[in-house]
Amino acid sequence: MSVAARDPARPIRIVLADDATLLREALASALATSGFEVAGQAGDVAGLLRLLEHDLPDVVIVDVRMPPTHTTEGLEAARTIRSTWPGVAVLVLSQYVETRYAVDLIRDDPRGIGYLLKERVTRIADLADAVRRVADGGSVIDPEVVARLMGRPRTHTELDELTRRQRAVLGLMAEGRSNHGIGERLGLEPKTVEGHVGEIFSKLGLEAGLDDHRRVLAVLAWLRES
Amino acid sequence: MPGMDHATEAIGSGRRSASPRLRTAALVIPGAIVVAIGAVLPFVSPLPRDEVVTPASQAALASSSGLWLASAAVAERRDPAGPMWRLLIAMTIGLWIWSIGYLATPLALTISYAIAPLSTAIFVHVLVAFPSGRVRAGRDQSVIAATYAFTLASGALRMATLPGDWNLLFLTDDPVAVEASRWASLGVPILGSVVAWVLIGHWRAAMPVGRRVLLPVLVALPIAFVLESAGYVGDAFGWTTVSDATRSPIAIALGATVPLGILLGLARSRLDRGRVADLLVELGRGVPIGGLRDLLARTLRDPSLRLAFTAPGVSGLVDGDGRPVEIPDDASRRVVRLDAEGQTLAVLIHDPALDSEDPALLAAVGSAARLALDNERLTAEVRARLAEVSASRARIVEAADEERRRVERDLHDGAQQRLVALALRLDAARGPDGTDPVLERATAELREAIAELRGLARGIHPTILTESGLQAAIESLAERSPIPVDVQVTPARFAGPVEATAYFVASEGLTNVARSSHATSASVSAEVDVTDRRLIIRVADDGVGGADPSLGSGLRGLADRVAAAGGTFAVESPVGGGTVLRAELPLR
Repeated sequence: MSVAARDPARPIRIVLADDATLLREALASALATSGFEVAGQAGDVAGLLRLLEHDLPDVVIVDVRMPPTHTTEGLEAARTIRSTWPGVAVLVLSQYVETRYAVDLIRDDPRGIGYLLKERVTRIADLADAVRRVADGGSVIDPEVVARLMGRPRTHTELDELTRRQRAVLGLMAEGRSNHGIGERLGLEPKTVEGHVGEIFSKLGLEAGLDDHRRVLAVLAWLRES
Repeated sequence: MPGMDHATEAIGSGRRSASPRLRTAALVIPGAIVVAIGAVLPFVSPLPRDEVVTPASQAALASSSGLWLASAAVAERRDPAGPMWRLLIAMTIGLWIWSIGYLATPLALTISYAIAPLSTAIFVHVLVAFPSGRVRAGRDQSVIAATYAFTLASGALRMATLPGDWNLLFLTDDPVAVEASRWASLGVPILGSVVAWVLIGHWRAAMPVGRRVLLPVLVALPIAFVLESAGYVGDAFGWTTVSDATRSPIAIALGATVPLGILLGLARSRLDRGRVADLLVELGRGVPIGGLRDLLARTLRDPSLRLAFTAPGVSGLVDGDGRPVEIPDDASRRVVRLDAEGQTLAVLIHDPALDSEDPALLAAVGSAARLALDNERLTAEVRARLAEVSASRARIVEAADEERRRVERDLHDGAQQRLVALALRLDAARGPDGTDPVLERATAELREAIAELRGLARGIHPTILTESGLQAAIESLAERSPIPVDVQVTPARFAGPVEATAYFVASEGLTNVARSSHATSASVSAEVDVTDRRLIIRVADDGVGGADPSLGSGLRGLADRVAAAGGTFAVESPVGGGTVLRAELPLR
């Protein structure tokens, strides 16, 4: 089963993993209200993996910090889930914006994986959008991660050569959006978006013709390292 | 301390006798007059001048009694309370009385002849009691008692039977008595053998120091023994020529070997005391604890010397290698305690002969050793305190770090989760098409509060440091900096306090760069110096420079923080030449 082969008529099934019960319950009820099916909840990684062994959801939402060490259990769980059950998409919620974690997370396979700042879930519409995107096999990178990378001081100034619009397109690419999604967000024709993307790639010296997934990683890596 | 009462004395106060110079003068001046009178007597003798006043006899007489007197003065200086100097004075007086015979009147001759056996007995007393003057109980005491009894009895018998108009004590010329007196003289060689046996016993029992001290009496003994015995045997068989020859100046001079030995000992003591100065110089250079014993043994010339220390947590004494040391509780060894501030630092276990050879040398060496050990103790104490202070400073910093981690975790698990959940519920309450402006604003404000709290929590403790290490944390720091920062940080992980300190240096350094350097770029590097096992953190910028660590509390705090981790911190900030902070942290 692949993440992309989902029956659009069936509600997206979600498993939540977070040791903060209060937040988890609030999140579960908000997701249920928004038309998702919360198939299970877990307070730690072991519990999460046990749930998955019995019943595979479409999406797992997992907090980075969980028992027992309260460090990066969630990140490791995301990698484990993606490699063990490629059909399950994972959305990682992080307390802090760490661009390294975002890039590490999508490095192996950017499909069906997302990295969101935890407080992003307070906007149900945004969360629902992110869940749908990863469920459809897309990548989601929190806008704040992208903003940090875009706003990072640089000695090289390739970014300065981009127009305002092109910078916006670049940011949305970094968030993991497809050309179609970018066009919707900016109110542009797909052809126009494609034009911008091509120009951005040539200005930044990136390899052209990458698929959407590979594109996220290439753009993030470029933003982080140059 | 058990077993230390025996033959123990403490060095620290030093014994002080009242005006030893004056006492020596009181001894030497009248003594010298007596010796001088003795030397002059032959000149006033009615005997033929060319027989009694020869250069040899005069030299022997004057030098012999002079030497005995001088040795008495030396012995008095060394041990004013002991009996040795009194014995030596008795020898001097004996010689003087003997020289009264030169007056050649019947009384003077009688006294001179009568005193001779007593002088012999005192001489034996000196030999047996050498060098302290104290006679050991048992065999030695018996030998001395027998000597006095024999010499006085045989002397009396001899005086009673010695014919001559001058002999005021002449009683009888009964042949049996005369024969008895002659055979009694043969007792002298027997006595001599017994004394020799006693002295050889002393020699065998003595340690090297004691043997050195005994040397003069061992040289004197056979000479005196042969000459005296020959004299007495000559008398016994009427070989007066032999007798006269042995009573000659040669005999007198050779008998002076003992006082000469005492005086030579003094000269050696002076040299030994010179070695105390060398000892102090050596100690000043710093001597390892194991080397101290050898150094003291060399200075005291006592190879048998042992040095035992008190050690914290150990009830008994230990040597330089930490092995336990038993204090012998017999008279074969003497013990000197080296004290400081009422506590025993160490004990010297030495040859008892050192006490009689030169107690002042022993005291000086003991004092020098005590100073060295006390110095050692104080240095160790200061080092221990310093280590303790450093450790407690590091612990304080670690505790503060731990506290910050805890506060961050509490914020994360508590307030943040609650606020996020609350915002979530507010958002849900608004409904899918909610446009209530009050709810809208409340949610927005709540989101801002959450973002602020997130910033605050991150400032308290960057979790990425503990989660992913220095490289990730410093890269994250650089991303937040308003100017471009080149990061060259090792991906290696280190102990928590090292990472926390290194991060603190990078974080404070970059804050300073952003605040006051007017720099256009900066760099942070952290590399391991493998040979020195150090982590070297360097924060550099191309700004205006002129940072003064003594003024900026930020830099001061950095220096303190690095010092708490046992590292070093340096700031290089020439005006107009940028600023380089460099911290080196030891990796344990």
